[in-house]
Amino acid sequence: MALRSVTLPGIGTKYELETEKKDTIAVFFLKNGNIQMYTLQHESQIPSVAELSPQEARRLGAILTGAIMEADRESVEIAFSALSDLRLSLHTYVIGRDMAGKSLSDLQIRAKTGVTIIAVSRGENNIVNPPADFEFKEGDAVVAIGETDQLKNFEREIMVK
Amino acid sequence: MQGIVLALFICMLLALVTKRFSLPTIPFYILAGLVLGKSGLDLVGADQISAFLTHLGLIFLLFFMGLEIKPDRIWHNQSAIVSSGLIDLNINALIGFVAAYALGFPLFDAVIIAAAFFISSTAMAVTSLVENRKLLMKESETIVWLMVFEDIVVILILALITPQTEHPGIMLAKTVAVLLLLYALIRFGKEQIIWVLRRDDELPVLLTFSAVLGISALSVYLGIPESFMVIAFGTLLGTIDPVSFEVQSRPFKDVFLVVFFVFFGISVNLFSAGISLTVLIAVSVVAILSKYLSGIVIGNYIHRSSRSGIEIWANTIGRGEFSIVIAALYASDAVSGTIACMVIITSIVGAFVAKYSEKIGEVLIRPKNPDLFIRPGKGQQG
Repeated sequence: MALRSVTLPGIGTKYELETEKKDTIAVFFLKNGNIQMYTLQHESQIPSVAELSPQEARRLGAILTGAIMEADRESVEIAFSALSDLRLSLHTYVIGRDMAGKSLSDLQIRAKTGVTIIAVSRGENNIVNPPADFEFKEGDAVVAIGETDQLKNFEREIMVK
Repeated sequence: MQGIVLALFICMLLALVTKRFSLPTIPFYILAGLVLGKSGLDLVGADQISAFLTHLGLIFLLFFMGLEIKPDRIWHNQSAIVSSGLIDLNINALIGFVAAYALGFPLFDAVIIAAAFFISSTAMAVTSLVENRKLLMKESETIVWLMVFEDIVVILILALITPQTEHPGIMLAKTVAVLLLLYALIRFGKEQIIWVLRRDDELPVLLTFSAVLGISALSVYLGIPESFMVIAFGTLLGTIDPVSFEVQSRPFKDVFLVVFFVFFGISVNLFSAGISLTVLIAVSVVAILSKYLSGIVIGNYIHRSSRSGIEIWANTIGRGEFSIVIAALYASDAVSGTIACMVIITSIVGAFVAKYSEKIGEVLIRPKNPDLFIRPGKGQQG
């Protein structure tokens, strides 16, 4: 898996990766902000190309890091290889009617599941690090952080009730 | 004034149409100029205002080019740049010079034509690689470095061919002194410059605009090569924050460069200079063929393949902005007409050849052993 990067004047930066199975993937960050991604199958001559906007590229990146993604649920997994392979997942959830009106301390999320709610998005506002007495409303989008197992636990214990 | 507005509106319409068909815009701006100006309907003439705007277009193009030049990057890639660049230079400058001289141009004119003949359009090459989605092919890096080499040659031409009012030694001393002064200013004023660029009011754009104009005015006042100084200034500022300066100067470059191209076309008189249509077309045809020759030689030298040569040829046929710069700065009427014609023909032909290069390659070069032509990703250079 050799990764090669080069800056091409006037064009942008190129990252080229040859996979173990000899397929080639190349990503170009163009000067206009878009990203072109080429994939070339081993021994094939004609690559297939997709041009992505920065947002689309980030979405693709999130998928490739192994996250589950549905329409209103997005998550990102971060692996810290230097910290004995610590893997943390960030996941978003939308609060339903059942959880509305309850506060963080009512729900005992961290004590029961180990998951921490690090941010809540309500309408136009974002609340980072909501306090323990923070009350959820229906339709709030929350960002939860924890290990994958803990998040699954959270989904079972808290969200589905 | 009305002339400029008319010309700009026509250019805007042309840009809409050409972008729709993924064609280069530069030849159409020049064509519009030819139709509007002396060679055509004679509706629009150059005046002081247009001359000033044209000049802005020129210096912002050069400033932009300067921002892109990274001396350390060039230094690290010199082997990639020099070998193919020298082949390109030798073949094309020589053929261009011989062709122009044989067609009856005087010696100095033939040199200017050779220079314009050699320099492919960097803008067109880059656009064609991106739009035709050919960035992965191994030749694309070769093409990009080729363009860098050509840009360096442009800078040398702009630095060396300059109206000499005094002893070259004095001029060189003055140039070096100003460059050192600018270097020191940018080195020690870096924090302040970054502070201005980070602001969100009119200061960043005012700084960029006045600094570029200031360098140009200072060079004229001191009698040192103006074009060269503007490029060098861009390169120096590029060491601070190239992206931010690009963002600030892009609108000036985009608008005034269109004025520059269209008024170049307006000022050219294709019919008065006594150049026959045959000569005009002959130069353009030779220009296409000579890049074919250099492309094939470079393709075989670097990638051991004539097919690679076809790709290199396809993306370097179009002559453009820098050929026009050279014509605008140095050329007589007859030479300007020839170069205008060459830019129009080569860039339009180039756009089509680049789009269909693979099919053209199949027709022109039949591989004896198709396995030799496993293309992108294999046997990468460098």
